Amino acid sequence: MSARDSSALARELAAIVGNPHVRAPSALETRAASIIVEPRDANEVAELVRKCEADAITLAPIGAARTLAQIRPAPVAVGISLARIDRVIAYEPDDMTVIADAGLTLAALNSLTATRGQRLPADPPYPDRTTLGALVAAAQAGPLRLSEGTVRDLLIGVRFVGHDARLIHGGGRVVKNVAGYDLMKVMVGSFGTLGIVTETTFKVRPIPQRYTAAIAQFADPDAALIAAAALHDAVPLIHLEVVSAAVADALGYPAHPQVFAGIAGSAEEVAYLLSQVTALLGPSSTVLADADAVTAYEHLRDFDANDAAIAAQIAVAPAELASCLMRSGAEFRAHAGCGVAQIFTRDASRAEEIRRTLSHWRDLAHGARGNLRVLRVNDDFHHEVNFFDEPPGPALALMRRLKSTFDPRGVFNPGCFVGGL
Amino acid sequence: MLVRGPHAKRLARATLRAVATTGQSMIDARLIAELCEIIGDDGMVLRATELKVYECDGWTLEKCSPEILLRPRTIAEVSAILKILHRRGIAFVPRGAGTGLSGGCLPLGAPVMICTSRMNRILQIDHASRRIEVESGVVNLHVTNAVKARGLMYAPDPSSQVACTIGGNVAENSGGPHTLKYGVTTNHVLGVEIVLPDGEIAELGGPAEERCGYDLVGAIVGSEGTTGIVTRATLKLTRAPAAYRTLLAIFADIENATRAVSAIIAAGIIPGAIEMMDQMIIRAVEAAFHAGLPEDAGAVLIIELDGIAAGIDGHAQNVSELVRAAGANEVRLARDEAERATLWKARKRAFGAVGRLAPNYATQDGVVPRTRLPDILRAIIAISHRHKIRIGNVFHAGDGNIHPIVLYDERDAGETQRAIEAGRDILKACVEMGGSLTGEHGIGVEKMAEMPLIFSPEDLLVMSELRRVFDPDQRANPNKVIPVPGSCVEVTAPRRQVAL
Repeated sequence: MSARDSSALARELAAIVGNPHVRAPSALETRAASIIVEPRDANEVAELVRKCEADAITLAPIGAARTLAQIRPAPVAVGISLARIDRVIAYEPDDMTVIADAGLTLAALNSLTATRGQRLPADPPYPDRTTLGALVAAAQAGPLRLSEGTVRDLLIGVRFVGHDARLIHGGGRVVKNVAGYDLMKVMVGSFGTLGIVTETTFKVRPIPQRYTAAIAQFADPDAALIAAAALHDAVPLIHLEVVSAAVADALGYPAHPQVFAGIAGSAEEVAYLLSQVTALLGPSSTVLADADAVTAYEHLRDFDANDAAIAAQIAVAPAELASCLMRSGAEFRAHAGCGVAQIFTRDASRAEEIRRTLSHWRDLAHGARGNLRVLRVNDDFHHEVNFFDEPPGPALALMRRLKSTFDPRGVFNPGCFVGGL
Repeated sequence: MLVRGPHAKRLARATLRAVATTGQSMIDARLIAELCEIIGDDGMVLRATELKVYECDGWTLEKCSPEILLRPRTIAEVSAILKILHRRGIAFVPRGAGTGLSGGCLPLGAPVMICTSRMNRILQIDHASRRIEVESGVVNLHVTNAVKARGLMYAPDPSSQVACTIGGNVAENSGGPHTLKYGVTTNHVLGVEIVLPDGEIAELGGPAEERCGYDLVGAIVGSEGTTGIVTRATLKLTRAPAAYRTLLAIFADIENATRAVSAIIAAGIIPGAIEMMDQMIIRAVEAAFHAGLPEDAGAVLIIELDGIAAGIDGHAQNVSELVRAAGANEVRLARDEAERATLWKARKRAFGAVGRLAPNYATQDGVVPRTRLPDILRAIIAISHRHKIRIGNVFHAGDGNIHPIVLYDERDAGETQRAIEAGRDILKACVEMGGSLTGEHGIGVEKMAEMPLIFSPEDLLVMSELRRVFDPDQRANPNKVIPVPGSCVEVTAPRRQVAL
């Protein structure tokens, strides 16, 4: 887009959202979108969608800017920031439900619910910079997925702006509801390719009375993964993370593979479960309680291999995760028991190496009846990479139909999702 | 185009008449011969008397026999059948065990019914991964039976679980008493193999918790058979609880009982189940089964805690104190497995006992936010008085999922009409309180007309567009879920199904 076009576009967008709410992208956003607009409500979002569809201008919600910057081959023209659409609409602690705007951050939501001893237990890294919209669109999960499920299990209602500027809602605010098609599932993990989520309704859960973590180190990753499998088999845990030596080192632990087992419940439950866990992990394990455990958990949750040349997420049948990780040769942070891990390597400085490594990892994932998603590659190479696995033919054909049905004009974050959707 | 109100009903009646009276059947001898070649004589039912068995599910208000019933044994057969039907533009209805409660498998405008019950093999159990792959005709309870020796279970437990199939559960996104803690079907289905209405086979998802691309499995679960025929499912298994504590809390009135539900949830305790029965139901259950329930009580709660043995008595003590503080006159703890089984038997058979109270009864399946339970029960009492109709209550209180039972005598036309109106008023009250039309029974044909109470025309349009992604010609289970011209069934008798 030429400079003149772009200033004309900025003026037209300003006519919708007001001059102060059109801005240049921040450093973080610059590879995700060319202009950022900050609408104040869903109606303004709808006007923006109408404008973009009419003029065949691409747009995307910008809450997950980091992810977008990675997966987009080129920025979309208009990034929709929901920073001004960030109210809590209704929090009903006794119903354990909350309705909030998609621009609210997970941390802000959870600081409110914490006053009533509850939380939305979706735990991607950095909840303070994860909006609820980004949580839904990118569907990132964390250690608590073992016990609390993922955002797909917690989202019970959604509002979004679809094509033709339609304001759509699915689900409701009750925890059990089978009225109509499940639009929540359609939006979760759709990366802004089907519409702009503006409002979310979640189930929340009680924060456990007590939380304790047992941490044990192992001589090699295989031993750590075997110990984790035995723990998962024997003890109900709220999280069960295994990290390789380099990840342990980066987290400030001794540079050996580590197992982090999370235990929660009443004092009596925690005491019993801890005895089970330490019996399995051996006497050398370290036990952290309450605030110390929370700090260690948050540190682990937020782990981000910034210096990796390639980062990917592998998801397989849980029992096959250990063998995949061992054969990958990668450093890893694994959600053991869930069959999901983030895997990293620093050793890939050429395009050919990146391709070879990813192809090796993909083969492992597919061999274990799973899939691989690339999270990040060195900036110089992100054009070389398919960030999403291609599903088998008939599944991809359905996805193409879904995309063309929900986005017939092809303006919603096009060209970066599965199969180039 | 979406049509509502009287116009929709006129259209619906005209279409139903057309469906019923059209002499031009799409099933001809050549088609039958083609189908027979695929599945053999023993795989099809053509005789009208035998087809009558399939004229309805648990929603018996409307009946309509298919013209032909097919019982395939393999996915290849399903695919071959659907290819033929696709070529000829013939609509079909998938059917599991027929235990649905909203008319989901009523063959309305669909001459061919395809029953999955012969595809009933458990294909693969991966204990270490807690995954099981089954054909869609496998009975729900058989899944848990196959893994319980290893301390695992399949969590969704609809009360029809001894009969209902996984395919039916996937279609309806089935619930059950223990969904309060463990979630419904959609939380436990990771992958499906589906034969699309054109006969194409799509494998979606699998044993991994993350998917690549859109969550099509999530879109199919709960789509009430309108996206194709699910032939296989990969299910998540759950660790079975090591211990249970089952409490019976006895209240003088229903209001305190509902307040107790909120008190438990507000205290941050998530029991496995919280079920409620009011006085009318208690008395019916006692008369039928002598389960030892207090007949003078206004309401009882069955509260089940589950988990590890350590600390569970502490939780039971807490719950006991909470419900006493909320006004329970007495709290009994089941002393052993036999007492627990008796309580659950009383609860699960409650609907059977209701037959003693009136010649006919109709059940609703509404949902309210759980804090509104006292309000909805007050509203139900008012509705009962207004329409001079008796209404009993037995339901999944912990989820706010009510199942009011409206009693009537169908020989009394006036009472029958009042029962219909009472049912509708209850649903409207649920919606006004921020609730939903159905918690677990589905929309089917039963509640299509009420869909506009909770969804805008645009919402419904998007939903029907989503359905057409899978089924562009709308031949899979037509005339269900979304009200379109010709699909709203005029309700002329109350809902008579046995709700669970």
